[in-house]
Amino acid sequence: MMSIGWSLVETTAQLLEGDRREAVLGDLLEAGENAWQALLGVLSLVLRLNIAEWKSWRPWLAAFGVSLPASFLLMGVSLSVSQGAQRLFSPALEATALGNVLPLLLCKAILLVGWSWSGGYVVGRLSRRTIWISAVLCCSPCLFCLARFRVPSQSRFCLLLFLLPAIWGVCHGLRRTRIRLASMIVFTLTLMLLMAASWNSGGQRWWTPRLWILDAILIWPACYLVAIAWRENHSKRQWKQQKVAI
Amino acid sequence: MLGEFEYLVITAAAGLGDKAYGAAIREEIEATTRRKCSIGALYTTIDRLETKGLLATWMGEATTQRGGRSKRMVRVTAKGVQAAKSFYDAVLRVSRGASWATEQKGTVS
Repeated sequence: MMSIGWSLVETTAQLLEGDRREAVLGDLLEAGENAWQALLGVLSLVLRLNIAEWKSWRPWLAAFGVSLPASFLLMGVSLSVSQGAQRLFSPALEATALGNVLPLLLCKAILLVGWSWSGGYVVGRLSRRTIWISAVLCCSPCLFCLARFRVPSQSRFCLLLFLLPAIWGVCHGLRRTRIRLASMIVFTLTLMLLMAASWNSGGQRWWTPRLWILDAILIWPACYLVAIAWRENHSKRQWKQQKVAI
Repeated sequence: MLGEFEYLVITAAAGLGDKAYGAAIREEIEATTRRKCSIGALYTTIDRLETKGLLATWMGEATTQRGGRSKRMVRVTAKGVQAAKSFYDAVLRVSRGASWATEQKGTVS
């Protein structure tokens, strides 16, 4: 029967990937180490692997280039979508105003889903082992804003509308779901067109620098996905050419 | 150039030949250096050396002694042999004239 100590070792070892976990636990058993030594060994390995991961630019980009800034901005977009929806279903809304409110709401809702999904995908793909840091950096602003949210007509959870598509994106990123170049180009161009449309309908013009900076933070993950899809497409073509040559 | 621990891992793996895997390499290093070798240091070094193309690893057989868990087998590549040889040569060159190296030479001869 397995002791509590070894159960703890096995649980901690879940932080390691499949094959590595198998080899490490086997080695510890073979060396006849006690549960305490084994636990320290596994913990030291997990820590070292995490530190080694941060030597690359990828987790830094995922955490501080996407998770942290995008969560702030996407909370703002979530609130805007929620307020738009509330306005749409308000009995005071005139039929003439409906034509203005509905397209803008649809535009913002699509942007919200697109930005969140692409951001989530990039985070999942770039920081597989350090995903928990990205998650903490995404959740911290959310908790901060939830605690300070004071709009009587709105539920505070309307700030978190972006989370569902973002988690969906993270799942795809972690599984490294294949993305097609043509689909990604269409997806990114659609987001860009909708961004331009929402700028103009908001009473501001597309050349406003503030809009460029904020929206660049939200759109770059989609552009990055186009680059990934192009690279995958390119390497697949090269591989096929090599196969034909052989 | 290799680090000291990287050299130890490559040399232990080369010495063990077909029987080189995590626990065996660790035991070999501990026995020869009389120093504790942590599993964290060993596996991160194996990963690093594999990324550099100096080692190749694959999952091997499972034994009852290991609770039915597979071994991570290790093989030193030609590039790894070359890197270890360069490190060894550098140690020999830099040690020329050092008192402990000459004393040892005197004892042997």
